[in-house]
Amino acid sequence: MIPAVLGAAALLAALQATTPPYATLTGPISTVGRQSDTVSSDTFSVKINRVLKAKSIAYKQFGRAVDLQSSGVWVAVSAELQAFQKTVPVRAATLIGSSGRMYRQSRRAGDAPNVLSTKTVQPGLPTTGLLVFELPEDELRNMKLVLSEQYDPQLKDEISVSLETIETAPQARLEIRKDGV
Amino acid sequence: MGGLKRAMRSKTGKAWLTKLLAGAGGLLAASISLGYTLYERRQADVVPQVEVATPVDAGRWKVSFAGSALAKEMPNGAKISPGKKAIVVSMMLENLSAQSSNLYGSLIKPTNLPDTPKPQYYLSRDRAILWDLQPRMPEAVTAVWEVPANVALPDVLRLRVEGEFFKPRDNLYNAPGWFPLGTVAEIALPLDGETSETKP
Repeated sequence: MIPAVLGAAALLAALQATTPPYATLTGPISTVGRQSDTVSSDTFSVKINRVLKAKSIAYKQFGRAVDLQSSGVWVAVSAELQAFQKTVPVRAATLIGSSGRMYRQSRRAGDAPNVLSTKTVQPGLPTTGLLVFELPEDELRNMKLVLSEQYDPQLKDEISVSLETIETAPQARLEIRKDGV
Repeated sequence: MGGLKRAMRSKTGKAWLTKLLAGAGGLLAASISLGYTLYERRQADVVPQVEVATPVDAGRWKVSFAGSALAKEMPNGAKISPGKKAIVVSMMLENLSAQSSNLYGSLIKPTNLPDTPKPQYYLSRDRAILWDLQPRMPEAVTAVWEVPANVALPDVLRLRVEGEFFKPRDNLYNAPGWFPLGTVAEIALPLDGETSETKP
């Protein structure tokens, strides 16, 4: 009798300890890839074209020159997105720095031309654009770019791409034009 | 007949004992609750008072106040709403969490202004509305409260800094999150004269 009860208790404790948390059960459906490849999930795919870093970024908004400084570094990722079955607005982009901290794309540069978060990806129409981030200079090694429709996706596709470390020093000024960088 | 009487008596005795125990338990619970409240009240009284330019670690945010003033215009150059006046508090704000965030709305609260809403934050670097603050990138920001023009303002603005703490697994969803910790610091900022907030 006692061994049976103890056995049942141990079994239940093991089951409870290994139950995945709710956040994991309803978390994103991840696809992982490298910068050199086109990384595809079930609903959309991403191909990284260029990764640039700069001390300041400049663009024109309504004919007015905007010049944005930073205490860290601006990272601009030029990428091509494709949707497969239906329209996918890719609103969420995060750079995970070398410390593991998560840097969401900068809202300061949200009005820059050609920014991907203002575009909508239609099936059959590959869409290129920019993702602009602001992060401290010591976070730039072994970065990972994470893309999804919204932040903290639940049971939706999320693509994460590991980026190659750029060895060159950041350029002083990066001009963002209508046709890209 | 005698047996029944004895049974009745023992039953009343039992009921009496139950009532006594319940009463004692209730009294005990009340006194524990009272003691806890008194203890909390005493704990709440010892909120540290900080000086200008002293960094305050509020868990999710690190803030050091620079000063406060009455502004002639909003920090981004916009006009103040008609019939209102603007109180501006400038500070350095740093995101100590591991994620970009704009959830600084309930970080500071004036205690001697009548029912103020959450302040609007502006980024001094851009002279624009502040959105996300990136981790490990402190920025000079200003918080603005618009109060009705007929409100009598105190000479010294008292602010309370509300802390937050991180739980790797919360009690409801077993998910990581930030939770309120209560007041971690208080500061008194002199609110002198009209100063236009035109900083580079």
